[in-house]
Amino acid sequence: MKAEKRRGFPGKQVIMLNIYFGDMPDMIYNTEVYFRNTYDSKWLISDMAKEMIRDVDKSIVVSEHCIDSPVLGQIPPERLSGGVKTLLLLLNDETKVFNASTCGDNCAKWILKIAQNRELTIRLGHIMDFGEERFSIRILNNGVIVNNMKDLLLNAHPYLQEAVE
Amino acid sequence: MTGRHHIELYNNKLKYSFDIKRNITVIRGDSATGKTQLINMIHDYSELGSDSGITLICDKECVVLEGRRWQENLEHISDSIVFIDEGHSFVKSNEFAAAVRGSSNYFVIVSREKMIALPYSIHEIYGIRERGKYPSMTQVYNEMYNLYADNSRSVCEYPDVIVTEDAKSGYQFFSRISEDTGAACIPAGGKSRVLDQLIKLDDTKKSILAVVDGAAFGPEMEETMNFIKFHGNIMLYTPESFEWIILKSGIVSSVSDELNDTCNYADSAIYFSWEQYYTELLRLLTRDTVLHYSKDSLPEAYLSKANKTKIMQVMECVRFRRV
Repeated sequence: MKAEKRRGFPGKQVIMLNIYFGDMPDMIYNTEVYFRNTYDSKWLISDMAKEMIRDVDKSIVVSEHCIDSPVLGQIPPERLSGGVKTLLLLLNDETKVFNASTCGDNCAKWILKIAQNRELTIRLGHIMDFGEERFSIRILNNGVIVNNMKDLLLNAHPYLQEAVE
Repeated sequence: MTGRHHIELYNNKLKYSFDIKRNITVIRGDSATGKTQLINMIHDYSELGSDSGITLICDKECVVLEGRRWQENLEHISDSIVFIDEGHSFVKSNEFAAAVRGSSNYFVIVSREKMIALPYSIHEIYGIRERGKYPSMTQVYNEMYNLYADNSRSVCEYPDVIVTEDAKSGYQFFSRISEDTGAACIPAGGKSRVLDQLIKLDDTKKSILAVVDGAAFGPEMEETMNFIKFHGNIMLYTPESFEWIILKSGIVSSVSDELNDTCNYADSAIYFSWEQYYTELLRLLTRDTVLHYSKDSLPEAYLSKANKTKIMQVMECVRFRRV
């Protein structure tokens, strides 16, 4: 692996986004159902939530209970896209690790933004495209810190080979 | 199930129109493109029929599979198109793969997971995009598009190294080509090892051609294409399978109907992937001839100058060096 292994050397780089590739115990895999049963309507009205919903779903937050979608009209939060629901969980619920493979690549920049404000751990079952700009992501499976997509791919690939029994 | 099945699905706000033609279709791509809406509409129609306010036109029954009792529920579904939304981890399991194998159903799976136990085709991995609005201006028309359509338009010139999935007939053919072209031929040891082999060759800067069975390479496609994106010297050639190349070359009797409309012949209850169908077809067509096909050992007759040339002519996107 070409990326630098820097476990135990704090101070060089502040890593805020951790990714576990494959399946981990106690993660929330079905974020859609979990969101529906746990979300707080106040989550919808933070500035970041409004920006995420505008960017990913092309929709406007009207109130805590209502979103204006260009396709579906006025909808409740339960009908937001699966990707935005997962982003809202990542933004607001620090008690769980969520399956971010329910997010498309158009959610990747928001995952990085959430991780700018606090340490965030997600689970992935695929290679998410975090873009061409440099980033800092710790791959929890092997402890390696990667800064670009090529190194992310090389380090994640071995952990995506396992089937679930 | 065999055949191509057209689906028209709409309500007053959304319309979907697409064809399903293999046992496994995968839908992924960006968030908020309408994947879950599609499944929800199939679900509502499946529960309430036209009382749902949804119109579904298809010559096969369309149903949604979900939940912990998926296995039990699937036992009661046959000759149908089964839709599965993301968030259901069973799609990754060996049990689910076993249920798909030999099933009379076609499966449409919304998931970005790799699903390595399922041999899905690179040609059946789709995204959904908005095609436009209908005259009322309230109904959005969504269509499916192949995520890897561009791959078939690449050209590889004069490869120095040819990587094959395994050491069977395809490798044996390309090894012989290597003698004429000066290219080295390396078997990867299985489709899940192709990327590992490409990573090993990462620093060689040589022109590399990876030949894989497109009919079953779907699980490896995302990672492999992500890797190739950083390497202009690597080209992925994705015919349906090596047997498809032979059948296409015309050295065996004409099978244009079977090749052009494979969906009408490759019964999902018999063939887990079209690669298996082409292998069986080639084996049957060449039985008791000098071309009697065996995946493990390629008969010498395929390597005659005339047959080799015909097979290589099928590979229009590859130009081999002559030495």
